[in-house]
Amino acid sequence: MNSKPQKIIINADSNQYQNWKLCVKSKFKTIKSKNIEIDCENFDLSCSDILELIAIANESNCKIVCFYSTSSKTIVSSQSLGYRSHFILENDSYNTLKMNNKDLNISKADFHQGTIRSGEYLDSPGDLLILGDVNPGAIVRAEGNIIIWGRLLGIAHAGSKGNARATISALQLRPLQLRIASKVARGPKEKPQLGLAEQARIDSEKIIISQLESI
Amino acid sequence: MATDTRVILICSGKGGVGKTTLTANLGISLARQGLTTAVLDADFGLRNLDLLLGLENRIVYTAQEVLEEECRLDQALVKHKQESNLSLLPAGNPRMLDWLKPDDMKRIVDMLKEQFNYVLIDCPAGVEDGFKNAMAAAQEAIVVTNPEVSAVRDADRVIGLLNTNAIKPVQLVLNRVRPKMMANQEMLSIDDVTDILALPLLGLVLEDEQVIVSTNRGEPLTLNSVNSPAAKCYLNIAKRLQGEDIPLIDPVEESSGFGAKFRRLMQTKIF
Ligand SMILES: Nc1ncnc2c1ncn2[C@@H]1O[C@H](COP(=O)(O)OP(=O)(O)OP(=O)(O)O)[C@@H](O)[C@H]1O
Ligand SMILES: [Mg+2]
Repeated sequence: MNSKPQKIIINADSNQYQNWKLCVKSKFKTIKSKNIEIDCENFDLSCSDILELIAIANESNCKIVCFYSTSSKTIVSSQSLGYRSHFILENDSYNTLKMNNKDLNISKADFHQGTIRSGEYLDSPGDLLILGDVNPGAIVRAEGNIIIWGRLLGIAHAGSKGNARATISALQLRPLQLRIASKVARGPKEKPQLGLAEQARIDSEKIIISQLESI
Repeated sequence: MATDTRVILICSGKGGVGKTTLTANLGISLARQGLTTAVLDADFGLRNLDLLLGLENRIVYTAQEVLEEECRLDQALVKHKQESNLSLLPAGNPRMLDWLKPDDMKRIVDMLKEQFNYVLIDCPAGVEDGFKNAMAAAQEAIVVTNPEVSAVRDADRVIGLLNTNAIKPVQLVLNRVRPKMMANQEMLSIDDVTDILALPLLGLVLEDEQVIVSTNRGEPLTLNSVNSPAAKCYLNIAKRLQGEDIPLIDPVEESSGFGAKFRRLMQTKIF
């Protein structure tokens, strides 16, 4: 085995197998390097999916060095587990994916890189992925989910057109105020646990915050 | 003629946090290091840079007459009595606010660039036209703030605007630091502030009664009271601006006996 990283791709092909994990397992069998880069393309992987991937890699004595994905969910999951993760902008892959797979339904995601500062405002007609902090005094809003790869200290409103299933996720969730659809909540006072990503969603008519399992 | 002039905007968002005091002291300190420095009062509404520098009674022309071509730039510039490397370009009357455009500000600064190493622009408070005009002419910026939630919030707003206008580098000066209050967690800690603003810290300035005395005398501290606590801070800021590697004074260690408390303080987040 050499150590030059080799790439394993998890994509729509993998889906033709009953279980994509089996497919990945077989791909690991043919691998010649110790260091693996995983390209998840547009696959949405939760934290527990990624933990399983890590276990599969360990079985083959391989180490996952980083993740690539066009899915913001996958990126946040892998990042929250401490992996180097590269977000590939939809624009590049979107068209190729569409060509290969006409009926693939990819929801629109807006991507913002950098700190959102006091007085600034972001609004998205789909999901909103932010790579950076949302500072006190800033407002972010999306018709879909909001995913913040950083700290949420300002105000976030997910499901702004009424989608009550929308969620707000962040590496640190300490907002001034949270809104999902028409529900409003103030942010928690106590300090967050380090290293755990958190998610807010509506459960029995109330906004609750829990440790991020899957987005 | 200077070719690599640094044009630095001194701004804060919130009023009264110490922009003008910093501009005056930085001007004196840089001039003393042998650098030709112009301070430009961009606070037309409430000008007082001239007052702080003790130059009020020597003003004949202002930026307004220069723009209207009623006088030459060197006629309007007021040279400092003791520090001949320092000159002030006074603000015109408040009515300038009605017609001044970003391009006018650029014209003025371009003229100043021809003969100075540094141009420091003392910004008005707020984020409206006065600030935007001043910003148009600057390349880099120093954001002044106090260890208070409202000042930090406004600084954050200003930093956002500076970033969208491609002003860089943007550095931070934390003014009116009281070590004991910080150690007792009655004031935002240095970490609390830099954590939110995510800017390199150019320096701290301690709370110092001498600042008020010097303001009233029209003699910046760095001119005649170089040993006062705040003066040392201003001098260090000037040196760091010049690229010297001066370690930050840890104010809480300095006030002795607060070491352990300070370390705890660095870990707490008041936001
Ligand atoms: N380090 C300090 N210690 C004590 N007092 C200070 C300090 N810095 C500034 N001050 C005082 O705070 C007041 C406001 O300072 P200054 O005029 O420099 O602020 P400014 O930001 O220019 O205000 P404005 O927004 O009105 O232009 C002054 O009275 C000054 O003496
Ligand atoms: Mg002022």
